[in-house]
Parts: sequence; C-alpha cells; structure tokens
Amino acid sequence: MAGGDGERLGRSARQQVAVAELGQQALGGSEVDELFAGVVEAAARELELEFAALLELTRDGRLLRRTVHGLPMETVGDVLPPGEDGLPGYALRVDSTVVVDDYASEDRFVKSAMQQQLGIASAVAAPIGARGRHFGVIVVSCREPRTYSPDDVSFLQSVANVAGAAVERARADDVVRDSERRFRELADTAPALMWMTDPDGHVIFVNEGWLRFTGRTLADELGDTFASSAHPQDREELVEAWDQAIKTRDEFRHEYRLHRRDGVYRWVLEVGVPRYVAGEFLGYVGTATDIDERKAMEESLRASEHAFRELADSAPVMIWTTDADGLVTFVNRGWLEFTGRTLQDELGDTWALGVHPDDVPEVDAKWTGTFAERDGWEHEYRLKHHDGEYRWIFERGAPRFEAGRFAGYAGSATDIHERKTMEERLRQIYEREHRIAETLQRSLLPERLPVIEGLTMSARYLPAGHGEAIGGDWYDAVELKDGRVAVVVGDVVGHGLRAAAAMGQLRNAFRAYALVGSSPSEVMGRMNRLTIGAGDDTIATALLLMLDRETGQLTYTSAGHPPALVVGRDGTRFLEDGRSMPVGAADAAVFREGTAVLEGGETLVLYTDGLVERRDIPLDRRLEELAEVAGSGALELEDLCDRLLRRLLGEGERADDVALIAVRAEPAALQRISLRLPAEPDALLGLRRRLARFLHSAGATEAESYEITLAISETCGNAIEHAYGPGDASFQVEVELDGDELVASVRDSGSWRKSRGASHRGRGLKIIDGIMDSSDVVRDERGTVVNMRRRLSAGVPA
Amino acid sequence: MSTAAEVSVELNGATVVARLTGEVDMANATYVHDELLRSVPNDAVALVIDLGPTRYLDSAAIALLFDIARRLGTRRQALRLVMPPDSPLERVLTLTEMGSVAPIHETLASALAG
Repeated sequence: MAGGDGERLGRSARQQVAVAELGQQALGGSEVDELFAGVVEAAARELELEFAALLELTRDGRLLRRTVHGLPMETVGDVLPPGEDGLPGYALRVDSTVVVDDYASEDRFVKSAMQQQLGIASAVAAPIGARGRHFGVIVVSCREPRTYSPDDVSFLQSVANVAGAAVERARADDVVRDSERRFRELADTAPALMWMTDPDGHVIFVNEGWLRFTGRTLADELGDTFASSAHPQDREELVEAWDQAIKTRDEFRHEYRLHRRDGVYRWVLEVGVPRYVAGEFLGYVGTATDIDERKAMEESLRASEHAFRELADSAPVMIWTTDADGLVTFVNRGWLEFTGRTLQDELGDTWALGVHPDDVPEVDAKWTGTFAERDGWEHEYRLKHHDGEYRWIFERGAPRFEAGRFAGYAGSATDIHERKTMEERLRQIYEREHRIAETLQRSLLPERLPVIEGLTMSARYLPAGHGEAIGGDWYDAVELKDGRVAVVVGDVVGHGLRAAAAMGQLRNAFRAYALVGSSPSEVMGRMNRLTIGAGDDTIATALLLMLDRETGQLTYTSAGHPPALVVGRDGTRFLEDGRSMPVGAADAAVFREGTAVLEGGETLVLYTDGLVERRDIPLDRRLEELAEVAGSGALELEDLCDRLLRRLLGEGERADDVALIAVRAEPAALQRISLRLPAEPDALLGLRRRLARFLHSAGATEAESYEITLAISETCGNAIEHAYGPGDASFQVEVELDGDELVASVRDSGSWRKSRGASHRGRGLKIIDGIMDSSDVVRDERGTVVNMRRRLSAGVPA
Repeated sequence: MSTAAEVSVELNGATVVARLTGEVDMANATYVHDELLRSVPNDAVALVIDLGPTRYLDSAAIALLFDIARRLGTRRQALRLVMPPDSPLERVLTLTEMGSVAPIHETLASALAG
C-alpha cells in the first residue's frame, strides 16, 4: 500500500506542478488560444485520460467546441445543440464539477452523439468561469469506466480556474483598449457637461450637454440644486467635498454617480475652478466628464487581479533562499526558467544579477536595510527575462531562523508585468481625462487670447454693474488654417442665463465655423442658421473680421454691430461697410462684406455697445468720443484698453456688460524688409504685397510705389531665372530707408550678366536703370548682389 | 497657377476688346499671353487691350505684349492699348518703348476709333 500511496502522491505533485506552470503561462500574458491548448493537454496528460476538450459558452447559450486533445481536429468548431449538450451542459447548469464514473449507470443526462460514436464510458466536466460568469466548460473522458480521486477532481477544477482567469485577463485588456478609443472620441467631439455657480454655490448655469444628460429642464437645475442628481449613496460625500472647496476656493475635483435621463447612474468626474473677474470671486465654473467606462474597467481589473493573486498564492512560481551572509544558496526551476540561466550562475553574491540598471540603487538600498534589520522583504522591480525583455516582478521574503539563529532569507517572486503595464495605461487614461476636462474649462473662460505671431492683442470683459453678473457679450480670436486671423466680438440681446447660454453656443459656433469657412459672410451665415435653427428667439449682434497678416488685408461683416475702429498713424477711421442684419433676425439674411487694409502699427478696436451706449448722449457723439480717446497718443495695447474703459465708462454703475478687444499689427516688419524667398515666380506676388505696405508706410506716392516695386521685382526676376545648379535655390531681399533714400539689395547664389538685345531680361535691366537713381551689380564667389537706391519725393515721416 | 490676373473679352464690331484686370508678372505671363491670343479670331480687324484695370506689369508682361504685337502684325491685325492718363503703368510703357509697336490711347473710345 505504501507504494500505491507513493504513486498517488507523485501524481498529485505532478498535477500541482502542471497547474503552477499553466498559471505562470496565464500570468505571462500568453494568448488565450495557446493557453487553452496547454490546458486540455495538461488535463489529459496528468489524469492519464485519452480525451479532453474545452467548450466555450456562446452568447446565445450554446456550447462551441474550441480546443481538443485526442479528439478528431474536425470536431473543433462544432456546436452542441441545446438539449443535446449532455454532460458539459449539465455541469454548467448545476455550476459545479460533475463526475461520471460509468455511463452505464448515468441517468442525469445522455451521451452526446460524439461520445456514443467514440464509445466513451466515463468522464469529468468542470465549468470555467470567474465570479459566477461562465465562459465554458472543460471535459475529460475515456473509453473505460473509472473511479476518479478527489485530487483528480480538484486538479481539473484548478485547471479550469486557470483558464477562467486567463479569459478574464484578456477581457480586461479589451476593456482598456476600448476605453482608450472612447476617450479619443470624447476628446474629438467634446460633449461637455458644464455648469456654473454663484459665490454661494447656487447653480446659475448648466449647458445643453448637461440638460441632455440629465433629461431635466434648466428650471430644474438652477438654484440650490448641487448634488440633487447624484446617487443617494454619493450625495453626502459630494456635498462635503463641495462645501470644503467653496470655503477655501480651491479647485474642486470629485467622482460620483450622476443620474442619467434613462434612469442609469453613470460615474462622472466633476472638476470645478473658482472664477474671478477683476479680482472678485464670482463662483465656480465646472465640467463633468462621463468616466463610467473607466470605472468599470478598474472594477474588472481589481477582480482579475484578485483571481491572479489567489492563483499565485497557490502556485509559488519562483523561489530563492540566501544564507546568513545574504549569498544566494538556492533558486528553484521556476526562477531559472524565467532568467534562462543555470543554477551555478545564480548562486553566491548574485542579488543584482539581471536587475534593471535603473532599479539597482533602490533594490540595493532597500535590501541592505532590510537585511541588516532582519525585516520582512517586499519589493517590486524589473528583472531580465530570458527573452531579453525586463519584466516587473513582485518579490516577497522573510528571514529564516534555525535553532534560534538567523540563517538567511527565503523568498518568492511573481511576474506582475501585465498588471504593472496595465496600471501605466490606466494612469495615462487618467491624465488624458484631466486634460480634456481642463480644456473644456478653458473654453468657457473668456480671459485668455491665443498668441498669434505678428499681432499683439488685448481684451477686456466687464460684467454689468448690478445683479446680472452674466451677460451675453463675448470676443474671440483664432488663427485660421490659411494663416489669416479671425476676430469676433458679439453681443447676445438680453441678459442672464439664456443670453449666456446662447453666447456660449455662438462662441463655439464661431470657432468651429471659422476653421472651415473661407469668408466672414459665410461664417456669419452659418452662425445665423444655427441660431435660427435653435428656435429660441435668440438675437445677437456681431462683428466678424478676417485679417491677412502678410498684406494687412481685412475682410469683415457687421451683423447689426457698432463699427470697428482703426487707430492709425494719421488719425482714426471707422470700418462702416458690411452692414447686415443681426444674427437670428431672418432666415435668409445676407451678410455683406467690407474690406480695408490694416497697416503695420495700426490698431483695430472691436467693442460691444456697452462701451458706447449712454441714454443721455446720441450714439454718434459717443463714437466720436471713442475715436478721440483711442486716437490721442500712441499707447501699449493694455494701456489703451484701460484708458478706453476708464474714460468712456467713468466710475458709475454699468447698466450693460462690455467686451472689448484690440488687435495691433506689429510694426516691426515695416521698419525694414529682410526676406529669403524661394527662386520661384510665385514668390513675387507676396513680395510685392510686402513692398507695397513698406512703401506706403514710408510715405511713397502711388507712382513711386509702383515703380520701386517693379524695379525690385525685376531684379528678383533675374535672380529667379539665374537660379540653377544644386545648392540653394533661393534669394535674399533687403529693403530699408536711409534718410529719405530707399536702399534695396537682392542677393542670389548664381552668376549672371547683362543680356543684350530685345529679350525681356534686357528690358528688365532697362527698367531697373530707368527707375532707380543708382544700381550696381557685384559678383563674388558666393553669387551676385544687386544694390539699388532711390530718393523718395515726399521724404520720410518722422 | 497664379490667378492674379483675369482677361475678359468682348467683341465690338470686328474689333476684339480685352480687359486685363489685376497683376501680370513672370508667374502668369504665359497664361495671359495665351488668353489674349485665343481671344482674337482670324477675321478680327484689331485687338484693343484695356490696361485701365491693370495694376501691375513687369518686363515679362511687356515681353508678352511685344510678342502679341508681332504675331498680330504678321496676320495684318492691329494692336492698340488703352492706358488712362494717371496710370502708374506709364513709366514702364515709356521705358520699354511700348508705343513703338502699339499705339497707346487714353480712352477706350479713342482706341476703338483707331
């Protein structure tokens, strides 16, 4: 009998090893199919049975044969019809492992067609599934009646558990991937839930997105409603966090479940920041982001981690011991299989062997301290796998004592690489989410303007003086794809929440349409149709202009808005063209356009009527005042805005809110021109535009401007026609003023000589000679330079 | 392809009137040249190019006008130019002696009268 026991113990030990190996395979992130193949093979081998199969439970409740051992390969993919699913179906229904020692005495179910065909006499089936969710079933069988030991049964259950854990892991990975995709979509479409409160924490605004989500009306949401849509279990904590934030005026950040219109509670991340205007605390503005997917993923991650922990605990995969000096005295096979080294390599003073260089200092310091104190050891670090990749492992150890004397440490290690990398991805998702929330936030706060090269901008917003903290005025500026800049200022008729909500929509519409539209009238037309389509009787005035920074060319349309003011060197002018109906007034409104040129150093002032409207003074008179104040002396833009507000509004209460934006084309480019241009004919048009602006600001007459532009262009034409060879197909143009004389030079890297006869190049040189007071050509090894001078009749303005 | 210049054509009896709008330089001279030549049928008596709405001509543009004058000349067709008195183009037409191959009129009416 001793021999029989020994044999049984030997089989039990082998079975345990097999489970440990499968567990390691699952932890190592093997493909599910590969793992299943290992599972059925190990089950048949360790139980010494002829047949094994793994069946998957499909969505519609049928069983699909997915992996087989000993059975014909063509049976893979077979579906067991309901009612004829025999032992496997029964095992799932009773949710436990079912043993058939002998089919001859079985009456709970009938043999499947295949079992009959193969003459199966006995079988065991174990359900695969974690947390009550069945994935399928594993079945082993043979042609003779047989008695199965409790070890055999528990072995098959263990194998089924490994398979179940692997499936869970694979699904958790899918959830991570799916969630990332969703977040990307979210970032693209930004279906924001937004809200705003007053200083007392009462809700004074929620956006369309919020109302769509909760299915409530604006009236339901306004007032002392904070947390009213939160899950009852989350409410107390939410209110506490909110009270704390508003007391300290800190940023508010909280996760809770919010009631959706379909009755489902969804996890949301709510972020709020205090808003201030002119230093005065006005309440909070915030967003909520649906993070339900992420929460679900975290939950499934926790569950699958738990399953793995249990598995790892029952199968210590990598084991090591040290002596009292800390020298390694033993590592087990699992360790050697991981590192791919021999036992000889591992023994001795080898603790740093294979540890990731970045982790060595920390492991060293911690291990030295732990060892000296004979403390328990617990650490995560990266260890080199035999495939060359570093993998995260979790190591745990304890001091050993023999006869009361310290004898060294014994420890084990688990491969936690998959979990670690998943945590990293989760962290990235969190970060992205926060970025999205913050971006949405910014879009509602009007205090920021983009930085646009070649322009300086400054803006102000002042709420109305009393009660009505929110108005419908706004301004914005965006850089368009073609390099132009679109600037808008607008005023939604009315005050309060509706005006603010409509303003938010128009502002967003402007941003979106400006990026795809090509002209102010087109963009305004789209904003008009959107407003009419909303059907809430919103009326707004707006002034929208597009500025070409290269040429200073302005195109604008005014939807019933007061005219923009240009503050120039020689005084001010209003842009009075492009007058059209207000936005929202008529479906078929046509938005006319006006054009103008903004010279370098000139300033555009756009404003809302709150700046100029006063009941006791006619508007014309007020516009004159505006021009006078704006035109009295050059100022930095910030100072100009302050002065306009101070002088035009005075100290009294404001009845209306005011938006003001000033845009100045930087004059620096007009002091001189220094351009490197490609040696292509198409470069000439842009150059002529630059020259025209330069010459205009230099006080040249129209004829002078034309002639000088022509002469410089002709010189450049030569450079273009003579550009050849490898090297650098470009040329350099420099233009500046020397007293009342214009000095220009064009340098190229080719060498050219004066042509003779009647070719157009000859004419070109004739033109240059005829127009310029002097011109000379210098050739050196680097190329050719043409220097030209011409006196301007009007002289140079100071 | 630069679109800085446009050519619009109408017939006045047996005379073709081509209005040249915009700016002509080496980037679009070939295009303008082809448009102008295409506008003149074989049975036309003359081509009048109205430079009133022309804002810029460079030497490549002048060259194309010389070439058109030559081609029309071989077909016994006349080329006449219209340039208003205060046009900024005056200097360039003078410097290149454009008047030597095509008479320059101050008004369209005078150009049509020949």
